Amino acid sequence: MSQRFLLAAAILPTAILASCAPGSDETGGDTLIVYSSRHYDSDYALYEAFEKATGVNVEVVEADGDLLIERVKADGATNPPDVIVTVDAGRLWRADQEQLFAASQSDLLNDRIPESMRHPEGHWYGISSRARVLVYSKDRVAEGELAGYESLADPAFEGRVCARSSGNIYNISLLAALIDRWGEDTAQDWATKVAANFARAPQGGDSDQIRAVAAGECDVALVNHYYFARMARSEEDDVSGLAVFWPEDGPGVHVNISGAGVAKLARNPELALQFIEFAASDEGQRLFPELTNEYPAVTTVTYDNAVLDGLGTFKADPLSGTVMGGNQELAQRVFDRAGWP
Amino acid sequence: MGTADSFTSDMTVSRARFGVLADPALWGAMLAVVFALPIAALFALAASGDATYLDHVASTRLPEFARNSAALAVLAGLGAAIIGTTSAWLVTRFEFVGRKVLSWLLILPLAMPGYVAAYSWYALTSAGSRFEAVIGINFPTVTGLTGAAMVFAFTLYPYVYLLARNSFEAHGRLSWDVARSLGAGPWTAFARVSLPLTWPAIAAGTALVGMEVLADYGVADFLGVTTLTVGIVRAWSSFSDPAAAAQLAVMLLFAALLLLGAERGARGRRQFSVSGQTDIRPVRVELSGLPSFLALIVCILPVAVGLAIPTAQLIWLAIETQPARSILPAIQGTAFLAFWSGLLAIVLGLTAAYALRRRNRIGTAAVRMVQAGYAIPGAVAAIAILSALALLQSGLNQIGSGAIPLLTGGSILALLLAYQTRFAAVAILPCETGLMKVRGDLDEAARSLGARPREVVARVHVPLAASGIATAGVLVAIEVMKELPATMILRPFDLQTLAVTAHNYASDERLAQAALPALVLLAICMPATAALNLLGGKK
Repeated sequence: MSQRFLLAAAILPTAILASCAPGSDETGGDTLIVYSSRHYDSDYALYEAFEKATGVNVEVVEADGDLLIERVKADGATNPPDVIVTVDAGRLWRADQEQLFAASQSDLLNDRIPESMRHPEGHWYGISSRARVLVYSKDRVAEGELAGYESLADPAFEGRVCARSSGNIYNISLLAALIDRWGEDTAQDWATKVAANFARAPQGGDSDQIRAVAAGECDVALVNHYYFARMARSEEDDVSGLAVFWPEDGPGVHVNISGAGVAKLARNPELALQFIEFAASDEGQRLFPELTNEYPAVTTVTYDNAVLDGLGTFKADPLSGTVMGGNQELAQRVFDRAGWP
Repeated sequence: MGTADSFTSDMTVSRARFGVLADPALWGAMLAVVFALPIAALFALAASGDATYLDHVASTRLPEFARNSAALAVLAGLGAAIIGTTSAWLVTRFEFVGRKVLSWLLILPLAMPGYVAAYSWYALTSAGSRFEAVIGINFPTVTGLTGAAMVFAFTLYPYVYLLARNSFEAHGRLSWDVARSLGAGPWTAFARVSLPLTWPAIAAGTALVGMEVLADYGVADFLGVTTLTVGIVRAWSSFSDPAAAAQLAVMLLFAALLLLGAERGARGRRQFSVSGQTDIRPVRVELSGLPSFLALIVCILPVAVGLAIPTAQLIWLAIETQPARSILPAIQGTAFLAFWSGLLAIVLGLTAAYALRRRNRIGTAAVRMVQAGYAIPGAVAAIAILSALALLQSGLNQIGSGAIPLLTGGSILALLLAYQTRFAAVAILPCETGLMKVRGDLDEAARSLGARPREVVARVHVPLAASGIATAGVLVAIEVMKELPATMILRPFDLQTLAVTAHNYASDERLAQAALPALVLLAICMPATAALNLLGGKK
């Protein structure tokens, strides 16, 4: 008897919760459907601000980049998104290759967003960016030891470099850019030498590389700037002994963008464009540096983030997403041949 | 194999008596075929591509991928088998301090998603961890092949534990008593009698662990083990080549079929059924002093490593962190999916077990195929399901002129289908072992007493196999709560789940924010594992 009671006690709550089925909320007015591979607080704040400003109801489907593209491909006709938002120039390029975007015209967007950060025919517009930088130990790395990305391949850094695995999209996009910069052979030579300099097998995410430098396991790490900024702003991590080096060698620091585009099958293309314009407004743009420590796409926007400002300014590589996207496959091949796990 | 023979011989008779529509074996085979559809779609997808990526990985990384996958599956499987069997044996055969509580606690690590345990253990033991600084001991970092194997062994051993414990209890008393009365010590009785009798259960549990390890991406990627699954995801993400991903996934599928074959081989002729004296509770050997203490430690260790320590870390993180958004919708979504998936799994598991018992060739093949689906990485399973659904939809559209949009991706139905495809192995194995325990002559006895076939099922099979059947439902419910990639890609717009919420934060390297949803996920899984415990204890 008591066993049955316990069993019922285990199953009933689930059943009750299950019966209040997660259906859609009652909505009045327009609905904007956003497919996004970003899941950051800045984006949630952006949806809320847009809802408040327009009275439009925003529904969001979140999935990691590649899943998102497959889902739009498979499901586009029955459940079309209005806006597609994705991280990484390579993924924007791929979504564009799959013809998921519609061309849209907006003087406002063309005016505010730099040319290198948007598609020439308005298929997508950059909304924010992050830079791939070197974080190093101020104690153990001497001034002048670091010159750029190429320093990671320097024999002087043997056993001192930390980076995550080669399957990671940030590394792929960086190498794709370096292949364009140096040519395939030089890029492969670089990747081989960097892999030989690893202090440990690639593991964890970017934050873990930064922590490894802080703990003395390695001296320099290849990471995105916003992880460092986030850690510098948090109380949990002590990164006071570390600093950011801007690898400005060649055309500049590798920058990767997040972008949004009006979906080809959008039921609400005007509203979709209105949303992207809102993301590019001063109100929308300041959310990215303030909540996610990313750089806004619109350079004139003012925001409040002292840590991010403290990282200093840098020269960004204006390489287009098309090149980065087109070289992705080659980049993975080069990584595989170079033995970067 | 007396059981099998009596069923083969009455196959035709039984079908005639059931009538075709009421025949559970037929339903099982049909359901298996439906749930195996996405796997067929996977083959079609694989065949649609060329060999560019395969050529490339074959000359660079494929040997390494395969080696790592095999090593990880073997190490984790071995670890889980040892932990699960030892602890199951201790709690069924011995009486020691805390035994009763531990026999329940030992199931709980199943509620811990592998990726959460991996994040947590890595944070605890990597260089510069605050934890190590506080306690002043430097542990080796939980990373790489051994680290990943450890995480899997300690979070997945409950599969072996559950099945082995049920089996130790079911087979136990008589054979054990006989062995002991013939002068065998507890160890000899364990090695020579209990272990061989429990072998099928251990093999089944270990096969589940192996398949889950083969399919994993999150743990392997985070801890830096380049497995086949990592290669599959790269084929897709770096080469934009889903067909190449499907090709590698087919290789994994064959690895899983091999595993299932090995499991059946390990079971081999050792198929034992119970003749009805299962209600005799085993008498446990009283332990005291040092042995009692040792038994306690051996049983506490897996719970601590697989659950308590990572959970404590999550609680610590959650207390320090302000929740960013309400997780109530995620709780509802998780409960909803888990409940209905559990029910479906019972139907699939039970009917498929009948199909296997009937030994019809097509039925068996379909069931085995859908079982092997467990080793397909979730992300690949999601693509396969999307393409299968697209096919079904175009078929439906031709018939009903687009009036039935139910089956497109993004509906709850699609998601439920996906879960069954992915977790059929978890549903079928416990039902199969449960039904196997029921001897053929019990059917004969019931029939000779005038029971109709339907009544034999309802009044003999189901009660006797009840714990196995319910175990199937609860296990699938737990798996569904933890499932990530298929949920992410197939779920409807406004359906949140705890696993997705936790992942969103963790993938952005915000473990602290991921802590709360992960903890709630654990809290919901707890009653489910408690139910498992009751099912196991109930005879």
